[in-house]
Amino acid sequence: MSVRLEGDLIFLEGRCTAEESEMLLIALRDRPGLAIDASGLTRAHLAVVQVLLALKPEIRLPPADRILAEIIMDQ
Amino acid sequence: MDELLEQFLLEGRDLVAQASADFVALGQRADDAVAIDSAFRAIHTLKGSVAIFALHPAERILHAAEDLLERAKKSGAAIEPDALAALVACIDRIDHWIDDIERDGSLPEDAASVSDRLVAAFLTHSRDTMPSSPASAAPASPDESAWTMALLERQEAAHDGARALAAFRYTPDPDCFFRGEDPLAIAMAVPEILVLSVRPAGGAWPAHDAIEPFACTSILEGLSAADVETVRGALRLVHDQATVTAVDTRRDSGAALPERDGKSADMLRVSAARVDALADGLGELIVAVNAMAGLAETANGVDRVLAANVRAVQAGLEKVTGRLHRDVSAVRAVSLESALRRLPRLVREIAESLGKQVRLTIEGEELEVDKQIADAMFEPLLHLLRNAIDHGAEPPEQRLASGKVVECLISLRFKRAGDSVMAILSDDGRGIDPARIREVAVERGLRNRDEAEALSDAAALRLIFVPGFSTAETVTSVSGRGVGMDAVQAVIERLRGTIDVESALGAGTTFRMRLPVSALTTRLLVVEAGSGRYGIALDQILETVRIENDALKAVGSGQACVLRGRTVPVVSLGALLGDDAPDHPVARMLVTQAAGDRVAVRVDRFSERLDAFVRPSAGLLASVPGVTGSTLMGDGSVLLVLDLPELLA
Repeated sequence: MSVRLEGDLIFLEGRCTAEESEMLLIALRDRPGLAIDASGLTRAHLAVVQVLLALKPEIRLPPADRILAEIIMDQ
Repeated sequence: MDELLEQFLLEGRDLVAQASADFVALGQRADDAVAIDSAFRAIHTLKGSVAIFALHPAERILHAAEDLLERAKKSGAAIEPDALAALVACIDRIDHWIDDIERDGSLPEDAASVSDRLVAAFLTHSRDTMPSSPASAAPASPDESAWTMALLERQEAAHDGARALAAFRYTPDPDCFFRGEDPLAIAMAVPEILVLSVRPAGGAWPAHDAIEPFACTSILEGLSAADVETVRGALRLVHDQATVTAVDTRRDSGAALPERDGKSADMLRVSAARVDALADGLGELIVAVNAMAGLAETANGVDRVLAANVRAVQAGLEKVTGRLHRDVSAVRAVSLESALRRLPRLVREIAESLGKQVRLTIEGEELEVDKQIADAMFEPLLHLLRNAIDHGAEPPEQRLASGKVVECLISLRFKRAGDSVMAILSDDGRGIDPARIREVAVERGLRNRDEAEALSDAAALRLIFVPGFSTAETVTSVSGRGVGMDAVQAVIERLRGTIDVESALGAGTTFRMRLPVSALTTRLLVVEAGSGRYGIALDQILETVRIENDALKAVGSGQACVLRGRTVPVVSLGALLGDDAPDHPVARMLVTQAAGDRVAVRVDRFSERLDAFVRPSAGLLASVPGVTGSTLMGDGSVLLVLDLPELLA
């Protein structure tokens, strides 16, 4: 599973697929204070990125990939 | 203060100044493409900065201004006068708000409504001009240049190489997720990608409760170092949803981005305190080098060869410190432009509040002077400008009646004259009436009737610098702030400068200010008077004279002498400082200018001249009138540096 909730942090890990965007959306809507640890994220579907950009959760740790990190941290 | 905010205040003002200068250029040539482009960039960058601080009202105005400029840029159309007025109003407001943010940390309460009003002005304008602007020849989407430019700016931050790049914009179809497509994966597969940005297709991301996780609502924009064909190839499967354009950064950086590139690449922002510390250190070095002169003198009594060697070393050190001095002065030198950037806006505001029409032109503001001088110049100039608008400029109808153009022309020129910078402020207003000045001086008890009548017109004009003088019939909110021309003169003299006024009734007034370019070290003449030695800045000394004691005449309770056909009062420095002056058969005097008049100051002896780093008075000394500061001598003693005009006041 690549979207994992632990305490106040959502861990995005490995490849996050389009399906997982819905889960992420629900988690962030229900608990707006949740922050993201994307340090383990290698690939993210645009659907997942859109949710992050629209809801602007705090990104504690960015992904290692520079381009992906810039996109997610941009807003 | 938050460092980011501090940076914003600095850069924000730079950008405001840039845009203002571009608008001035557009006022002269409404279709100046370089100015339009430069203003667009300044506004665009400003918009980006205010967004960081969530200053929404500012962002909205800037967005509207950016739109207008972008349309003009693309169509090559001229900026209409009312559009230019809207742009100037926009940048003036932003300038104001930057001041507000610095002072209060936030925008004023009326920011939102002010913003609405200004944005409305832009909208009215855009409706009027949109249909008439020539059709864009650009084949791509209407705002192509904006997005490629935004990408380029991000690219600049990451890399500095100038080369041909390919920009692409990919607008995926909203249903693409259902077909199993991942536009992000497609875009990231573009070779040699430098920048990739995901933006909301509708301009803003949907509200939290309106997000459809499986609807694609993004636009992807990217920049690649690969060539256009390669990028097209990578996007071939979605070619109907993507546009690819070549971007030549070499052309861009050469023509359109010159200042930006220069600034980011070779410029450092260094805090003034660090440069001051450098200057302090240099000051101490100069003292140490000066001490070698004494050492050579002592050595001379022991060993002539050693003395010669010491002198040679001293000469070498002097050369090096001289060069260092020039370099440090150059670091402290700032163009007057940065210090004066707020003047045009303030002049517009003052003129508007007084119902006057003025046109201010500034020339030579690129001159570089010491930061201290540049900063200190602002207040006196603003005061003189206020006066020019309030008292000098006639109301429009009166100007027309006297055959003048309706706008009062105010020109502020700067030019270099040796080690000084001249600031010349002229207006073509009503001029100052010397008769009226005499009248007022008598009314205010500054001169009695006979004294006033005896004054030449030029001398009468100088009365405006006398404390307590104000010709305003009614004290207006603009000029009548309790600071008069005497305050202006005091500031100029504190900077070791001079100010003169000339005026022709009905034709206008000119103020000439002369200020030193460098405030770092001061050429001093050391004089002896009574029991002490004092330093006097050479630029306060017009000349030094020696005359026979007999040539001094008693005038009233004081003395005077005739120099070059003019009677000049003589004041004894020893007596001024409360010391008795021994009587010499020859009077040694230095002539200075105090409050516009020549005064001869008698001293006991002239001693050496030196370049010294004068520290401003601090502590107890600061409250002593007539003392500018002190300097450390080579032998470790402290020399008080006198301010003659203040001492004589």
